[in-house]
Amino acid sequence: MGSATGSVAESFALTRELRERIVAHARESAPNEACGLVAGKGGVATRAIRCANVHEAPTTRYRIDPREQLRVFRDMDDRGEELVAIYHSHPASQPYPSPTDRAESHYPDAVYVLVSLRTEEPEVRAFRVHDDLVREIPLS
Amino acid sequence: MPVTVRLPGALRDAAGGQTKLEASGRTLAEIFADIERRHPGFRGRVVDESGRLRSYVNVYIGEDDARSRGGTDAPVPDGSEVMVIPAMAGGAGGDGVRHGLGR
Repeated sequence: MGSATGSVAESFALTRELRERIVAHARESAPNEACGLVAGKGGVATRAIRCANVHEAPTTRYRIDPREQLRVFRDMDDRGEELVAIYHSHPASQPYPSPTDRAESHYPDAVYVLVSLRTEEPEVRAFRVHDDLVREIPLS
Repeated sequence: MPVTVRLPGALRDAAGGQTKLEASGRTLAEIFADIERRHPGFRGRVVDESGRLRSYVNVYIGEDDARSRGGTDAPVPDGSEVMVIPAMAGGAGGDGVRHGLGR
């Protein structure tokens, strides 16, 4: 235990079930962006948590209500989980962190999962985003 | 009696890598000053030059949003938990201007 804390994963294991849950959320939210968190233990993703997108321009932006963040963080604590990833969708553009995504990323230890619905088959990709630097992490 | 301060996200590297620490003070400003003494540079990550909470920093004292209790003047009762939560936001659009955590 503890070895995963703060470590940089070389790949990110997202089970098919979690991937399907995130994609389903993205599809249900379209044309708005969907957003949520992935909780886990020891760096292993176990649970996708849908959050409300409270941004006033939700088709091209997202923001999670900080009070919902507070509630989810406490719930993860109670379950012995930690934050593993933050996901959101780009309904009509590529699954790559936009300038806004980079500017507003404040969780360097989390994996940023992006879902694009621009193609019939949704694309899911994962990244580390820190200080404007973006590094893709292979999904496994 | 100290309070517990929790720092999820990017702010932990401003506090020596800790996500949870104890601090003393009667207001949020005093709590931040106490952490600043041990971790120089911390304060500038959470408040701006005029001493206001940075726009992308949300602080809860127990269940209370610090902004609704006077911002950095918000009273912090003994033994309470202070959660400092950086915003989770982004999206495909927008200008990409960094409204960051003071770096």
